[in-house]
Amino acid sequence: MDARLEQLIKDARSDGSCALRAAARLMSIMTNQPQRLGELLAGSRDWPQPRLVLGVTGAPGSGKSTITDHLAAEFRDHFPERKLGIVAVDPSSPFTGGALLGDRVRMMRHASDPHVFIRSLASRGHLGGLALGARGVVRVMGLIGCDTVIVETVGVGQSEVEIAQNADLVVVVLAPGQGDSVQMLKAGLLEAADLFVVNKSDREGADLLHQQLLSMLQRQRLARLDLASTPGEPMTCGGPMLTGPQGIVDERATPAVRVALDNETPPVFRCSAIKHEGVAELMMELKGLTDRHAVDWQNRRKGQTIEEIRLAVLEEVRRRVSDRLAPGRKGYEELERATEGNRSMAALVDELLYEAAAAGRGLQSSGC
Amino acid sequence: MNAAVKPRILIGKPGLDGHDRGAKYVAQILRDAGFEVIYTGIRRSPEQIVDTAVQEDVAAIGLSLLSGAHLALFTRVLELLHDRGADDIVVFGGGTIPPKDIPRLKEMGVAEVFTPGTPARQIVAAIDDCLLHHSVM
Ligand SMILES: Nc1nc2c(ncn2[C@@H]2O[C@H](COP(=O)(O)OP(=O)(O)O)[C@@H](O)[C@H]2O)c(=O)[nH]1
Ligand SMILES: [Mg+2]
Repeated sequence: MDARLEQLIKDARSDGSCALRAAARLMSIMTNQPQRLGELLAGSRDWPQPRLVLGVTGAPGSGKSTITDHLAAEFRDHFPERKLGIVAVDPSSPFTGGALLGDRVRMMRHASDPHVFIRSLASRGHLGGLALGARGVVRVMGLIGCDTVIVETVGVGQSEVEIAQNADLVVVVLAPGQGDSVQMLKAGLLEAADLFVVNKSDREGADLLHQQLLSMLQRQRLARLDLASTPGEPMTCGGPMLTGPQGIVDERATPAVRVALDNETPPVFRCSAIKHEGVAELMMELKGLTDRHAVDWQNRRKGQTIEEIRLAVLEEVRRRVSDRLAPGRKGYEELERATEGNRSMAALVDELLYEAAAAGRGLQSSGC
Repeated sequence: MNAAVKPRILIGKPGLDGHDRGAKYVAQILRDAGFEVIYTGIRRSPEQIVDTAVQEDVAAIGLSLLSGAHLALFTRVLELLHDRGADDIVVFGGGTIPPKDIPRLKEMGVAEVFTPGTPARQIVAAIDDCLLHHSVM
């Protein structure tokens, strides 16, 4: 491992005044050079890992940052000794590459809390590596002792969905007046969720959205049970929740904060994040799930780590090879010569690959 | 890939008044110039701003000030940066700062002060200049 990385890791794990700064620097390395994740992991086998990495996703404006802020407050109340990490991803402008990262505006009460570390990330478009970079940031949060890490992403774009899939649990947030919400469910977020939150329950339209979601989940459930054609199951928009034992819709029923159709269907929470309603219940659910599954997650992460390193290696090979084959570089000249010579394509590819792989870090086009 | 990565900049507004037009404007022009801007919103304490800057590993902090307490606020931010071993973070400011105070601020270590009406291009050029030697990791 590179000496500078090693020093930063040592500093980040210390109690010294430079620990936070070192951790923040490590996060920059991970997001700017995601291919170095393998290097970080190599030096981090014995690092502590968060017990829970929670993905929070959903349409822009549905209240993800507000929920994250309130969950953080709940967490700090419940576990005054534990540390929390928050990774907040906002999109980069596809035109300028710049980004306005504003999730923090909703979380400022935690800014000076030594038990909360918040990091904003820009999605950086298709340049890729976001998922890898975000994993690196989560690893560093583990390093500095975060028990739980919340990762907020807008639920659009391949790499953002990937980030959510890397979490131990995924909360999908929906809100009324967010026309996108139902569309996004149809586009795949329904399957990605371990829990749903219908937020802004103080707003008109929340009941309807709640019902729509439950109907979709019910359809999915029935399909799973292969009972879709069984008559008698309430399938109308009344859904199962407002339905009494005889399947009669009870119009007076107040939707419960937590509704789960069965053990295999993600539970649905109704929240009003700004009023802090339903957040404590959500927190307790997360706590229960973590207590039950943290060990499974640790094991699953081992598998993910292998996959991470594999990706890091592939990324590094791609980078070294493309560096070497760029016009003006040595490999490019070889390419030019090869078109005149009579060597076989296979031999040429082998040789170029071999040389690129051996080229090592000395060839990095840029770095620190 | 990282050749394209520009430094990150925090834009914040300390003090008690609630107008963030200026801060948002600067945040937007910097975003449009390709920077990743961390926006903290209004009424932030110097502690919040500096702690955020450290966690976000920004290269620069831009403070928008309208309340007249600029000397005290800048002093405090620079002090806190020093305490956190983050002296290398560039600090600049803007807002209704009386021209007579600008030399004083620069002496304290504020890199640039933009008064209302400074053209966007000039702001971006000045910040680019300040960050010329900053190495992005
Ligand atoms: N009425 C209402 N507004 C909310 C609620 N939660 C968040 N908001 C508002 O919705 C807007 C978007 O919230 P934000 O958390 O930034 O959404 P994000 O884009 O999903 O992170 C903000 O103006 C919030 O104040 C809620 O429960 N009820
Ligand atoms: Mg947000």
